[in-house]
Amino acid sequence: MKQFRNAYWWLLLTALVLVAMVAVARGALPLSIATVLDALRGRGDPTAIAIVRDLRLPRVLLGALVGAGLGASGAALQGALRNALAEPYLLGVSGGAAVGAVIAFSIGVTTDAAITLASFAGGVGAVFVALAVSRAGGRTSRADLRTLLIAGVIVGAFANAAIMVALAGAQPNTVRGALWWMMGSAADATWRSVFWLFLSTLVVGGALVYWAREIDVLALGEDTAASLGVDADRAGKRAFILSALLAAGTVSAAGLVGFVGLVVPHIARGLGIRAHRPLVLAAALIGATLVVAADLAARTVAAPTELPLGAITALLGVPFFLIQLRRLS
Amino acid sequence: MFFRRVALFAFAISVAPFACDKSSAPTRVLRDDFGDSVAIPRSAPTRIVSLNPATTEMLFTIGAGSRLVGRTKYDLYPDSARLVPELGDGLRPNVEAVLGARPDLVILYASQDNRPAARRFRAAGVNTLAIKNDHIADFGRTISILGAILHDSARAQTVIDSVTSTLARVANATRGTERPRVFWHIWDAPLITVGSGSFMDELINIAGGNNVYADITGPSGPITLEDVARRDPDFILAGPIGAGTIKSDPRWRIVRAARSGKVLVVDTLLVARPSVRLGEAAISLANQLHPGIIR
Repeated sequence: MKQFRNAYWWLLLTALVLVAMVAVARGALPLSIATVLDALRGRGDPTAIAIVRDLRLPRVLLGALVGAGLGASGAALQGALRNALAEPYLLGVSGGAAVGAVIAFSIGVTTDAAITLASFAGGVGAVFVALAVSRAGGRTSRADLRTLLIAGVIVGAFANAAIMVALAGAQPNTVRGALWWMMGSAADATWRSVFWLFLSTLVVGGALVYWAREIDVLALGEDTAASLGVDADRAGKRAFILSALLAAGTVSAAGLVGFVGLVVPHIARGLGIRAHRPLVLAAALIGATLVVAADLAARTVAAPTELPLGAITALLGVPFFLIQLRRLS
Repeated sequence: MFFRRVALFAFAISVAPFACDKSSAPTRVLRDDFGDSVAIPRSAPTRIVSLNPATTEMLFTIGAGSRLVGRTKYDLYPDSARLVPELGDGLRPNVEAVLGARPDLVILYASQDNRPAARRFRAAGVNTLAIKNDHIADFGRTISILGAILHDSARAQTVIDSVTSTLARVANATRGTERPRVFWHIWDAPLITVGSGSFMDELINIAGGNNVYADITGPSGPITLEDVARRDPDFILAGPIGAGTIKSDPRWRIVRAARSGKVLVVDTLLVARPSVRLGEAAISLANQLHPGIIR
């Protein structure tokens, strides 16, 4: 049984590495494998070197990190909420992050770093507003996770309305930028954005994996959790905040990449993984593979025109999801 | 005003020498509309990617069409532009596809959307020129920069002279005539019109009309149908598709000009590009607003 599980890890890792290699090798411009290998080592044609090292590599890495963050976040949330339809964007993170970015756009902030920071702050802000709303609504001292989820949805809806009002009077330029962002894209990946997302994913994702065992207990129900000595209230909030932070990081780096957080945990559970520590890790690997593959499709299918990444992930993810649902029912 | 800007510009680039003795090194540099420095190399660029329909037209007009190795999918004039490889969009261009054309000069529109791409072209060592050409004055400015970079300022000046004299001729012909109030229909859903930040507003003025939405300060802006009816324009300008909608959609009956058939169909490839055919565009608009005023 143990060996069987190990085989899954190798399978997932190999899939990710293979997809990543194809993604570095292929793009809008056809380059031979030899040229790509030379360029990776910094040899040969400077244009090829620039394309492989400064465009494709950071883009593939950013896609992998975004997918990993969304997958892990979704797996943790679905476990903590005991709801297979939970996903990171339901927490209001996406809406909050978008509000942050649009506010930055509209007050004339132009640097990438500032926009990333503003959207991250917006996402985190939305999570805390959701927490406050759920506390205001709860009559008992124990905050209900389902109340938290609904609070997140409401905060998200309010944020979306605010964005629409802000964009209605904005310059076409701003609208286009915001639209692009809301469809998700890894096109602006730079080594710097990869570095920051790597750091935040490592820290927040590591914490989520560390506390993932609590989610196993939560999944048994709050009363059982309490009888096992786990403070369900705190554990639930912790899973909620960590998942939201992971998702906020991905949103600020690549905009809204839909369906990954919803679909990927189902695929991971389909592999027979039940405990949340391995589940979160497996969902991270599968999410990374899915987003790298989707981004490869986004930039090659209709080249030189790029397709929106979020639409491709939905197109790839929804059939998986439906197959999975059939198998469960 | 326009002439002075061009003259000032020519002066600015001529007094910015960049002493350097390598033959491949630039002789001079200038600042583009992103505030970045653009090299004017000793030898004219031979592989140019133009990601803006207006600059593509200009390059063909000053005889550099054969140097183009890439354009956007919207660059359809002149006809020979269609033979240049298409590289996708001009806003948020596909950086890999553009670099793959191995350009020694990339020209793109200076909007916020294009900043990351411009930065990447520069990082890859490609000379990059970002130009914001929203006004008629920007046409002269842009083409003189292109002339300087291509070492053919004389030809660029000829084009400027011919366009400015045509514009002046149209402005003279329409001076003192009755100025109809004009609404320019750009897009239907949402309804978008031209503001005073656009060369199209300037074209209306030169052609002897007044833009009813000159109070919009940007190049364009969203409006409502009721407000169009309230402002009650004498004429509606629209492209062939927009004009079809205005004539067939019953909602437009609340606008007097639409009701009485005062809808003028314009050639969007001609009048919606701030480029070498600005003069022609002004003539055609003037003749639509004041039939027979220019022969």
